[in-house]
Amino acid sequence: MSWLVGVDVGGTFTDFFAAHSDNRSVRYFKRPSTPHNPGEAIVMGLREMCAELDIASETIHRLCHGTTVATNALIQRRGGKIAMITTEGFRDLLEIGRQTRPHMYSLQIDQPPPLIPRQHRFEVVERIDSEGNAIVELSEESVSEALKAIEQTDVQGCAVCFLFSFMNGSHERRVGERLAAQFPRLQISLSSRVRPEFREYERFSTTVLNAYLQPVIADYLTYLEKELRDFVPGTPMGIYQSSGGLMSIGTAKEFPIRTAMSGPAAGAVGAVHTARAVTRPNVVTLDMGGTSADVALIRNYDAGVSFDREVSGFPVRLPMVDIHSVGAGGGSIAWFDRDGLLKVGPDSAGADPGPACYRLGGSRPTVTDANLVLGRLSKGGLIGGRMELDVDASRAAIKPIADRLRFTIEKTAQGMLGIVVANMVRAVRTISVERGHDPRDYALMPFGGAGPLHGAEVARVLGMSEIIVPIAPGILCAQGLIVSDLKEDFVRSGRFAIDAESETRLTKILDSLARDAHAWFEIEGIAASDQRLTVTLDARYIGQNFELSVEFMGTQPGVVPVPANAADIIDRFNAVHEQFYGYSNAEEAVEIVNVRLTAIGKLVAGDAREMRKNNDRAPEPRETRLVWYDADDPVSTPVYNRNAFASGMSLTGPAIIEQLDSTTVVFPGDRLETDNSMNLIIQADISTGASHA
Amino acid sequence: MHKSVPPKEVATPDPSALEIMSNAFRSVADETFVALMKSAYSTNIKERRDHSTAIMDARGRLIVQADASLPIHLASMGGLMTALLEKFSGDIHEGDIFVANDPHVAGGTHLPDINMAMPVFRDGELLAFMCNIAHHADVGGAVPGSMAGGMTEIYQEGLRIPVVRLFREGNIQPDLFDLILLNVRLPNERRGDYFAQIASCKLGASRLTDTIAHYGPDTVLAGFDEIITRTTRRMRNAVTGLPDGVYRFEDVMDDDGLGETDIPIKLTVTVKGAEIHFDFTGTARQVEGNINVTRNATQASVCYALKALLDPDVPNNQGMLDLPLITVERGTLLDAVFPAPVAARANTCQRIIDVIIGALSEATPEAAVAAANGANTTAVFSGIDPRTGGGYVYLETLGGGFGGRAARDGKDGVQVHITNTSNLPVEAIELEYPLRVKSYSFVENSGGSGRFRGGLGLERVVEPVAHDCTFNGAGERFTHSPWGLFGGGDGGPGAFFHVDGAGVGKRLPNKPIGLKIRASEAVVIRSPGAGGYGNPSERLEEALRDDEQSGKFDAETLRSHYGKRP
Repeated sequence: MSWLVGVDVGGTFTDFFAAHSDNRSVRYFKRPSTPHNPGEAIVMGLREMCAELDIASETIHRLCHGTTVATNALIQRRGGKIAMITTEGFRDLLEIGRQTRPHMYSLQIDQPPPLIPRQHRFEVVERIDSEGNAIVELSEESVSEALKAIEQTDVQGCAVCFLFSFMNGSHERRVGERLAAQFPRLQISLSSRVRPEFREYERFSTTVLNAYLQPVIADYLTYLEKELRDFVPGTPMGIYQSSGGLMSIGTAKEFPIRTAMSGPAAGAVGAVHTARAVTRPNVVTLDMGGTSADVALIRNYDAGVSFDREVSGFPVRLPMVDIHSVGAGGGSIAWFDRDGLLKVGPDSAGADPGPACYRLGGSRPTVTDANLVLGRLSKGGLIGGRMELDVDASRAAIKPIADRLRFTIEKTAQGMLGIVVANMVRAVRTISVERGHDPRDYALMPFGGAGPLHGAEVARVLGMSEIIVPIAPGILCAQGLIVSDLKEDFVRSGRFAIDAESETRLTKILDSLARDAHAWFEIEGIAASDQRLTVTLDARYIGQNFELSVEFMGTQPGVVPVPANAADIIDRFNAVHEQFYGYSNAEEAVEIVNVRLTAIGKLVAGDAREMRKNNDRAPEPRETRLVWYDADDPVSTPVYNRNAFASGMSLTGPAIIEQLDSTTVVFPGDRLETDNSMNLIIQADISTGASHA
Repeated sequence: MHKSVPPKEVATPDPSALEIMSNAFRSVADETFVALMKSAYSTNIKERRDHSTAIMDARGRLIVQADASLPIHLASMGGLMTALLEKFSGDIHEGDIFVANDPHVAGGTHLPDINMAMPVFRDGELLAFMCNIAHHADVGGAVPGSMAGGMTEIYQEGLRIPVVRLFREGNIQPDLFDLILLNVRLPNERRGDYFAQIASCKLGASRLTDTIAHYGPDTVLAGFDEIITRTTRRMRNAVTGLPDGVYRFEDVMDDDGLGETDIPIKLTVTVKGAEIHFDFTGTARQVEGNINVTRNATQASVCYALKALLDPDVPNNQGMLDLPLITVERGTLLDAVFPAPVAARANTCQRIIDVIIGALSEATPEAAVAAANGANTTAVFSGIDPRTGGGYVYLETLGGGFGGRAARDGKDGVQVHITNTSNLPVEAIELEYPLRVKSYSFVENSGGSGRFRGGLGLERVVEPVAHDCTFNGAGERFTHSPWGLFGGGDGGPGAFFHVDGAGVGKRLPNKPIGLKIRASEAVVIRSPGAGGYGNPSERLEEALRDDEQSGKFDAETLRSHYGKRP
């Protein structure tokens, strides 16, 4: 008898999701966040949850934590004071970056200044060439001078970033040793440890961000460890990483940059879990909150990972769940651009002052106001919520826009929603069609507080016929935490052509990566039967300069899935190229740039499923009200409390379904069913085409 | 697969419907941009993103451009359309793909920019074109990279392609393609880049066909008109915000690489209500060297400057392109005619922009900036890779200082104005080419003084590994420094140096041609800094302290710039 508890810390609320390992029951708990120290809400919330839900603290066998501490520290530039040691001749490289402007035509907007000022970037004499040979040995004397200079500063950490350290990390390691010996309390990030990969600016940037976050995350996790030791002694805690798996606290302290996308990644993994429950392997997720929407593509129950993205204006080269964000949320504000076109977002009223209907001082028209005016949101707000929504305030906020368009308030609100939907559609296209996938082959899974309000329209525009709304769309992230595995990535860079002769070279690299992986399994205490290994090769045609990932999934526990032979790799690469770009060149030679091994430790995850008895009738609606869909006239629409739904029931839209954390809009003609896990499965009536935005 | 939609009534789309439709067009342009970048072979496209994509209408008007497109490519696409419609009107078929690059007969701006256009039809009616343009690392001609100075005729700069049909109704014209590839260096890499452009055209045409089917052709055409009309109105409103008046400025180009120096660019801007007129009368005749500019590139430069000063977020379409009235005399530096060489035109475009900003600085002092590095400092290394025995060409353009601004310093080491291409990672250079980068750094003291100082230039030191290579370069503002504004001081000029085996550096000409660099030697590429903005005596103590502590300026320079302080 034991519980698995997921904790997701958001800006407003800290959500808890507890799953029982024996009888599969799940419990939710939510309390206000404590932004000054997010750990407080976790510690207090755990105690409160145990008391309120009658859970004995000693029955919690694992905690899983998704954290935004790193993300917020980056956004607010509250990281540590750090120094950098780099190859002679290159201390400005971090500041030069890719020498580009972020906005082509703006004379005023610059890339963000580097996190380490120039006077704290030190050079040492050393050089490694592209083959990994030390063509200039590390000068110990120059290291001594750098250390002397660092002594004069008040830095808390140091990033060590040398050219070609991904080929040969010995110089970085040596400098790391000397730093550790001389400054025992200094936190050190080596680029060959953080991310031993090709392309120096991206590697340095990732390493510097890591060093910058280390002091903040170390304080935070040390606090959590200490407080939790009293309450749940001996209970391990997994920290959620951006790649969509858990890592130990020790790993998180060494590589805090890996938590930069922790929250959204957990949402995507929660979505994978729901996708499995409804047996839909291919899903596009739409996680819409107050200020932005995150979209991700799940293929074959796998939320893809990308290796290249920006965090807070800096490139980060690490595996992260491939999520695309767009400034489209419930608080997004409608406005007229200088050419008279109506726009919605990216500016958001957020939670404070919030939409006009909150009556907290916001007077500009938001997406939430539009939903309220159209009857899609209830005046009573969310079920169980204490806030009444003021529809007159919404109408007053929308009126100036309506007057200028010479539209009714409702038609204006429809226009606003059409635009916010178009913005989300563009984001979905970016992660689907731009990567060679047709969204019509996917189901749409809207979640987050605002996702299920707009899922039906997004699906229609993209020609997607099925919409899945998870049981608890507002806290899918917390749910994702407890259905995740431990995960660690190992990588070796090194270019070589794929041919019969290179097969042994690849095998050798995989052997060495496997040794690392097994050492990690050992440290994390993963039983042999729970070990999974996946091989990913970053490959390209010789002469190309962009790599594509070719994946080999392991089937047997603990066994590295070694590709059969060179021809096998080349065939798979050509297939991936064909999918991405619509063509492949069978006669071209292919080379490998990076070899990655992902180690996964399967955790015994409670299946977050709440069984209910079958009942095929829809319950009585709470009320009936007029709701505007895409036509000029409103439709009389029943409004349901989702808690009253039973599994196996069905209904035909129009319908509004309200619950604690979200509202779902079912368009006229759409068919809704509930499954065993109480997810909503909606067949959109896309044949009419009437709703094309 | 695609479900057809019943046609809708055609009226001018309202501001919310139009926003949604232009969103769909932007998606198509962006998707083709990414597709071209990812499937291209050459580092110049994949890493440096020296390419653009756009949708044009059947009349050749620009409707939408991919977000990341380059300003210099704007006009070139329009130029191709004009030439294409003139030559092939009535003879354009589904599945055709047209290709061109020539600045004198096909609307290009220099030969390495290969333009493509593919028509999009609906029920037999020509509705639009999907266009793209990519800078190829070589297009033949006298010197690897096709960018070197020293040429006196366009013929020497590479293969001239008038508007021709590369695909006829879906079929490639193999004879033509063979002819093109035979005339360029590294034909395998070039073929890959051509195919990437072709794939991008086809993808865009297919997406645009879907979009047209979705909205109905009439609605789409009404949308095209409305997008342009609204942008025109938006830009006219912005011009109205400028004080009426006549504004003048002039500057000079360093040289044309063939002995002609101090080449003037003169400008008179007249603002009257919503009209703005750029008159370049008084500018030098076209020159023998390759810094000449065709009219299209002059137009692109004017549009860039106007947009940057007045409304950086205005959409790029024909409404923006057509707004400024431009007077420039045929046969001058800014409207060069056959057989003028034009490879290094970007340097001149940068100067046109400096001149426009200088002229309008009085009318819009908050938006104006001091002269940026004003160049497109170009370095091309070529030779035989001793590891493989194959030839290589490595081309790079360096950023430099950005000018001081009304409320902040100019950025150090960045691409400015007409170009925004990435640098190539040092590790990519050394993996791909038999070259070693010895250092990559800011040029200390190169930012002009001012209340807000100018940005620093960049310096790269490159040496060939185990072989002798050839170096070609093109620099500007190597003689005439970037000027300060409103009392700000000038930035430092750029320079090329040849460092011999003993480590002794020798200053090279501003536009060195075919220079042999031996294995033990190196080339120093130093780009200009930028001018400062406002009176140096008003510079904040805190900023001065940072100038010194960062080591970006030494004490002596600070003393000479700012008097006794700090």
